Amino acid sequence: MQEQVINFDLNDEPVSIYADPSLSLLKILRDRFNLLGTKEGCGRGDCGVCTVLLDGKAVNSCLIPAGKVQGRNVLTIEGINGKNQVKAGLMHPLQQAFVEKGAVQCGFCTPGMIMSAWALLQKNPAPSTEEIREAISGNLCRCSGYKQIEEAILQAAKVMTGQL
Amino acid sequence: MILVPGHKEKGFISNHKPPENKVNQGPDLWAKVAGRALYGIDLQFPGMLCGKILRSPHPHARIKRIDTAGAAALPGVRAILTASDIKQKRYGIVVQDELPLAADRVRYIGDEVAVVAAVDEEKALRALEAIKVEYETLPAVFEPGAALARGAVQIHDHIPGNIAWQRELERGNPDRAFREADLVVENTFSIPSIHPTYLEPIACLALSDYLGNLTVHTALQAPDMVREIMAYVLDLPFSKVRIVGPIMGGGFGGRVYGNLKLYLLSSLLAQRTGLPVKMQLSREEEFSIGRPMIAAELKIKMALRRDGTFLARESEIITDNGAYSAQAPWVTKTLSERNDSVYRIPNIRTRACLAYTNKVPTAQYRAYGNQAANFACESLIDQAAAKLGLDPLAIRLKNCTQAGDTTVHGLKIKSCALKDCLKEAAAMIGWSNRNQNYGYGISAAIHASGSLVANKDFRGASARAVLELDGRVTIFSGEQDYGQGTYGVFTSIAAEVLGLEPGLISLNSRDSLVAPYSQGALANRQTTIGGRAVQLAAVDLKQMIERAASEMAGKPIKMERGCLKSADGSIIELRAVACYHHNRTSGLNLTGVGSYVPPLAEYDETGYGNISVTYSFAAHAAEVEVDRETGAYNIKRIVSVHDSGQIINPLSAGGQVYGGVTQGVGLSCYEGYLFDKGRVVNKTLADYRIPTALDVPDITYHFVETTDPEGPLGAKGLGEVVQVPVPGALANAVADAAGARVTALPITAEKVYRAITKGECRS
Repeated sequence: MQEQVINFDLNDEPVSIYADPSLSLLKILRDRFNLLGTKEGCGRGDCGVCTVLLDGKAVNSCLIPAGKVQGRNVLTIEGINGKNQVKAGLMHPLQQAFVEKGAVQCGFCTPGMIMSAWALLQKNPAPSTEEIREAISGNLCRCSGYKQIEEAILQAAKVMTGQL
Repeated sequence: MILVPGHKEKGFISNHKPPENKVNQGPDLWAKVAGRALYGIDLQFPGMLCGKILRSPHPHARIKRIDTAGAAALPGVRAILTASDIKQKRYGIVVQDELPLAADRVRYIGDEVAVVAAVDEEKALRALEAIKVEYETLPAVFEPGAALARGAVQIHDHIPGNIAWQRELERGNPDRAFREADLVVENTFSIPSIHPTYLEPIACLALSDYLGNLTVHTALQAPDMVREIMAYVLDLPFSKVRIVGPIMGGGFGGRVYGNLKLYLLSSLLAQRTGLPVKMQLSREEEFSIGRPMIAAELKIKMALRRDGTFLARESEIITDNGAYSAQAPWVTKTLSERNDSVYRIPNIRTRACLAYTNKVPTAQYRAYGNQAANFACESLIDQAAAKLGLDPLAIRLKNCTQAGDTTVHGLKIKSCALKDCLKEAAAMIGWSNRNQNYGYGISAAIHASGSLVANKDFRGASARAVLELDGRVTIFSGEQDYGQGTYGVFTSIAAEVLGLEPGLISLNSRDSLVAPYSQGALANRQTTIGGRAVQLAAVDLKQMIERAASEMAGKPIKMERGCLKSADGSIIELRAVACYHHNRTSGLNLTGVGSYVPPLAEYDETGYGNISVTYSFAAHAAEVEVDRETGAYNIKRIVSVHDSGQIINPLSAGGQVYGGVTQGVGLSCYEGYLFDKGRVVNKTLADYRIPTALDVPDITYHFVETTDPEGPLGAKGLGEVVQVPVPGALANAVADAAGARVTALPITAEKVYRAITKGECRS
């Protein structure tokens, strides 16, 4: 398709690119912005490792045409911790909890998983285990059996609501 | 320190474990949660080309002509290789049956015919479309039974009868045992091909410099084994092939050798162009060409005494190799005999045959087929128990292997809590107080921990422990951590020996240029063998530090709890000793070496003998609810009890159990390849379904901790055995509830429904 100018907010910064609007948002994030934290596992919305937030809603970025983000807000794993260092104690409570609870093995699903959890906790600050399972049901993980991921999200929810 | 068999050890092994919160999980974790961890698919090099493969559309055909002229003339295309452009050398892991590119024949849908390097993916794909290949189709064979029949199409000219591997095995006197038995039960079971389904598709980036050095960046479980094959096929000196591992997006056995074709073809393209070449598989390619575990059919017969004593077992096993073999012979071997050692079965007869078909080539998956055997053998034990009117738990307790046993295949069991595992699993599921509305199943497993059969001459591991100038310690080991916890285990072991905080120790293992040669992450050898080498290296370093410190201070210095102290109480900093040695030697670091050579695996030509350093055990129990109207069932609970020796890293051990049991649920309930005339039908993650967060049952686990005399700190492997008992426990639970047995994995609602309506009652 004819390339066009696409303006949007990416991790709380205004950005502007000239691109084919039919390319996937995933491709744009990885190839044009070098945001490699958003992974690709299937390219057709089956695995969830490319999950990002579009106006606060968790979406598979491989299924979103770049043209659709015009004027909207995109948040990726690189954006959820502001400009803080990658270090224990300086991370987002979700990132902290994923490490502490053993929720990370190979880590390939982790960024997408954290983004889905982030979207859930914005909407529902104190979710039940069932609600967590529902929220991450589009994010496949082959290593963990999900249990420690659920525990991590529960812990993060408590930290974020001041209960821990 | 070098530990060879017969060497007397002097009391440095302690069973003290570091507290849980002290385990250093490694630096990768923070990078992973921050989205900064770089995997194979993320790699980029300046000027890199994109490589793509042209694959056969036919299951079996002769290549008559390949015309690449049109493709080569396209803009952005830098190289096109076909069989005639390269020096071809036949290779294989067990059977020599593969070439880098198909020469005159293609043997499955997906066989590599040509490979292209272009400046970007789009141009590489366009070039593939422009390559013209003329095929003459040949009759194909898709089922192992048909492939083994007289007069079947020959898939490899140099391998007669389409037999990739076969074996006949007899122990004791099975004929007599079957004659004298009070009960003989038999049944036929099957399991389809299973894909490890690591979430990151395999990717690699190859560079070749003008001196002929080849560097391949790719994440592998056994990088040195892959280097060996690459050096052989590409005719390069071994020292010129380097593999550097990015972070691995899951392995599960699928990345022991990974995708050799991809590494070879990217290397050939890099050599041809002099530029970095990146190649990666799509998810569809992963499923349609990406080396799943063999499918198997097991016909099993068991002889028992009236009181439930196992007398003999006879198995006829046919496994489906697909078009090329990789590790399928080894998987067939494990599948056909490991389960025999779970119980005391004195008489065995096994015939196993691995047959070529015109389908996707196979390799291995976590637990090496042991899970398929578990499904079949544990199902049959329940059939026998029902016939004899015995309780499934009681019959297992009566026959299970115990510490001190030498099993029917010669495995020497030095530590074993299987009986306690069975009792504990039964207690946790509420065996004595079972709910009438649910079904219950129990199953047991053994798995080699530190298998020694891959190479009789090279069966151990080595490591180096280096005292850095800043007083920290770096461990160099060739063993691989890909999230299963090796980093934490190794640094904990070294920390324990040196008395240092685990945080002061780091592990360097991903670059073959600096890491010691290793067999890698397979056969559950990481903790048992690799960990032992790390322990010995740390002991060696400790002695060197004490010697250097004593020399420096002019009086005897001892290292205790990480502190260097003399008898008069003066303390020397570790850093000071490091610098002292560094200056005195003009630049050397104090370096401890550890070499662990396990006792020789003495096995005869029939495979009888002790093939592993030690063995892990497990018992799982399941509770299910079956809807008899539809056959649909709901797994209410799985309890998982393990004897993996001492547990060094409890958090990641728990993660291994949850993850492994969940994979077991997947293969028991819905995973498996579907084919249509050799074509993989379910080649997306929508069609090849793996468990989601909504599919995981309630899993609880318990470790019965034994202290293994061989494993470091008394530990044994866990990562593979976790999956093994799941299909047996689930199959038995479903049969208990349904009153009818499903004998083909996966156990779908439809199969349960058909079993119920067929009235094929539980025995």
